[in-house]
Amino acid sequence: MDMNGGPKIVGFLCNWCSYAGADMAGTSRMSYPANIRIIRVPCSGRVDPLLVVKSFQQGADGVLVAGCHPGDCHYSEGNYYARRRFGLLRPLLDFVGVEQERLRLEWVSSTEGKKFSQVVSSFQEELERLGPRENRG
Amino acid sequence: MVDEIRSKAKELLTDGTVECVIGYERATDGVTARPLFAYTAEEIDRFIMDNTCVHNLARYLLDRKGKPTAVVVKPCDSRTINLLVQENQIERDKVFAIGVTCPGVVEAHWGEASDEAQPRCVTCSLEVPAVYDYLVTMPGERQTRTGFPDLERMETMSPEERREFWERQFERCIRCHACRQVCPGCYCPICFVDQLDPTWVGIRNAPPENQVWHLIRAFHLAGRCIECGECQRVCPVGIPLMLLNQKLAAEVEGMFDFRPGLDAETLPPFAVFKKEELEAER
Repeated sequence: MDMNGGPKIVGFLCNWCSYAGADMAGTSRMSYPANIRIIRVPCSGRVDPLLVVKSFQQGADGVLVAGCHPGDCHYSEGNYYARRRFGLLRPLLDFVGVEQERLRLEWVSSTEGKKFSQVVSSFQEELERLGPRENRG
Repeated sequence: MVDEIRSKAKELLTDGTVECVIGYERATDGVTARPLFAYTAEEIDRFIMDNTCVHNLARYLLDRKGKPTAVVVKPCDSRTINLLVQENQIERDKVFAIGVTCPGVVEAHWGEASDEAQPRCVTCSLEVPAVYDYLVTMPGERQTRTGFPDLERMETMSPEERREFWERQFERCIRCHACRQVCPGCYCPICFVDQLDPTWVGIRNAPPENQVWHLIRAFHLAGRCIECGECQRVCPVGIPLMLLNQKLAAEVEGMFDFRPGLDAETLPPFAVFKKEELEAER
C-alpha cells in the first residue's frame, strides 16, 4: 500500500453531533489529519456493519464511526444499538485478522471540535503504528 | 423408537392435527438419510430415525407458513422453532414438534456412514430438545464433548496468522450460497449478496469479495445462530463456517448473556440495549 499519503481512514459521522463537531473543528481552525474521508450519515445507528466491512475490503486502513454521546442521540437510542453492534463486530474482525484497533466507535458532540481533531489524530497515529493492511481487494 | 415416531405421526395425520409430517427416510443409497414429507399413513411407514439423520428439518417450516405441520427435531434443530417463533416467521400453534433426544449424529456421505461424530455434535451442549410437544429417546452413547478446541486454537494465533488462515479458507469459496440456502435463520426475500445496486459483493470470485460475504453472513446470524451446523455440513469446499458462528455465539453469550433459540420470548441482543454497558470495550 502507498503509505505516502498516510493511512486511509473512512469516517462515518452522524449528522447531528459528530458531523457538526467536525465542522466546529474546521470553523475553529483546528487541524486534523487529512487522511480521513468523511461520510455523513443520519445516525450512528444507520451504520450497517456491511458498510464497515466493505470499507475495509475497498482499501481502508481504519474505520471511524462517530455519533452523539449516549443519552444525546437525536433519535433517542440509535447510538445504543450502534454500540452493541460494533462491540460485536470488533471481535469478529479481529478473528479474521483485521486488528480490532482499526475500527473505532467514538462519541463526539457538536461542540467538541477539539475532541474530534484529537480523535482523528490519535487514530492516525495508531494506524501508522499498525502499518498498512495487506488483504485489500 | 422409530415406531413411536410413526405411531405419533399417524395419529396426528388421521385426527387432522397436521396436514404434513416432516421426518427422515432412507436415501436410495441405503445408508444415508434424506428428508421425507409425509402426507399419508403409507408414507409414514418409511420414516427412520438414527445417527445418520443429519438434516435440520425445522428449516422447512418456513416453506409451510400457516399450514399445520409436524416436524421431527433433534435438540439443535428444535432451537430453530423458538428462533422462528420469536421472529414472527411461524406460528407456534401450527407446529407440532416431535422431539428426539440426540446422542449426536455422524459424518455421512453418499453410500457411506462413518462412526465419526459431526463437528457440531462434539461442541453441542443440548441433549434434550429446547422445545417439543412429544418426546422420543434415541438410543446410543452420547458423543464426547470436547469444548471448542478449534476456536481456542484460533485465539492463540497472531492476527497475521489468522488473516492467512481465513484467506486460505475464503479463496476456496465458490459462492454457491448453499450455506445460506440451508440456514434456518437466512430467510430474507432478497439477500444483500444478490443485490446488484449497490453491489455489496462483487461478482468476481476473489478472497476479499468472499470475505465480505462470509463476515456479513456470520454477522447477520450473530445472536441468532442456533448452532445446527448445517452451513458447514453442506459447504462443498469444506470452509469451517461454524468457527465464525461459534466465535460470535461465544462473544454474544459473554457480552449479553444470551443464547438464541432456548425460548421463544427473550428478545435477541440487537433488538434491545442497556443504557449503561460496553463503555469499557468501546
